Amino acid sequence: MGVFRQPPRTERSVDMGDIPAEARAMIGKERVLVYEVTKKDIRRFAQAIGDKNPLYVDEEYAKKTKYKKIIAPPLFCHAFAFEDVPAEDLREDGLPIEVDVPLPVKRAIGGASSFEVGEPISPGDTITATKKLVDIYKKTGKTGELYFIVIDTVYRNGKGAMVAREKATYIQR
Amino acid sequence: MKDEKGFFERIHEGDEIPALTKKPTYMQLFMFSAITWNRHLIHYNTEFARGDGLRDVATHRALLGNFLAQMLSDWVGEDGKVSKVEWSVRGGAAPGDVIMCRGKVVQKVEDEKGRRIGCDIWIENEDGTLIASGKGEVALSD
Repeated sequence: MGVFRQPPRTERSVDMGDIPAEARAMIGKERVLVYEVTKKDIRRFAQAIGDKNPLYVDEEYAKKTKYKKIIAPPLFCHAFAFEDVPAEDLREDGLPIEVDVPLPVKRAIGGASSFEVGEPISPGDTITATKKLVDIYKKTGKTGELYFIVIDTVYRNGKGAMVAREKATYIQR
Repeated sequence: MKDEKGFFERIHEGDEIPALTKKPTYMQLFMFSAITWNRHLIHYNTEFARGDGLRDVATHRALLGNFLAQMLSDWVGEDGKVSKVEWSVRGGAAPGDVIMCRGKVVQKVEDEKGRRIGCDIWIENEDGTLIASGKGEVALSD
């Protein structure tokens, strides 16, 4: 398949006994968070990713497109990937609480994602994010043990239509 | 306009997607941390990142994905939309790196769900080292 290796598929660990019980207990836990989308959110997101497409910022331009209004960049729901918890609720290194799982490792590295884009998002939309930790598994690599944390998040608009779904894999070692 | 071939007809398996060059900066990483409310030090504290064995602060996994999505979106334009982006971080990127998003068409599909184009996508740096790789899909409008 071309010049590069395939992304690591979510190969389950053979033995879940490898994963501490406190971490295992977090699997299946779900959080539901609701966000209102503003023009400012979309504009700042577009600036942060360095995408100058006027469809994300210019209402006059957007009106002439098939969308008829400003829409958000395809992976905009990343803006809602991490919960707005106060700083004191985070670990000292600021690791997002979503991946702050009691494992015998501390360092976060790389990761992978499978992101499905659904209905377009526009200012004024209410987005409900349903976030679930779906798997934790371990692999032994060249540099030692790697722990994989998989979080599945479904984002829906006010009409209940899916606007995005991301299965994100975070790696710790 | 109708005389011209549509996007789906113009594109063939093996076609390369126009490359998109990006130069992540400290400011950009800060802005992306802020807009995603990702407060992990690894993205804005060089000392912390080096302590973790990195050259410098890390470009976010999600930001790399957004770069790939932008490449696909610039390519398909108003003829369709980005419908799927899958990627794995391989080498990672730091501020000051010049990185290039690239892609190649691997499959054209036309079925009851509509017309879609599947691609291999990846990001490499100036010496060709792989930063991220995966698959993308664009869905064509009717």
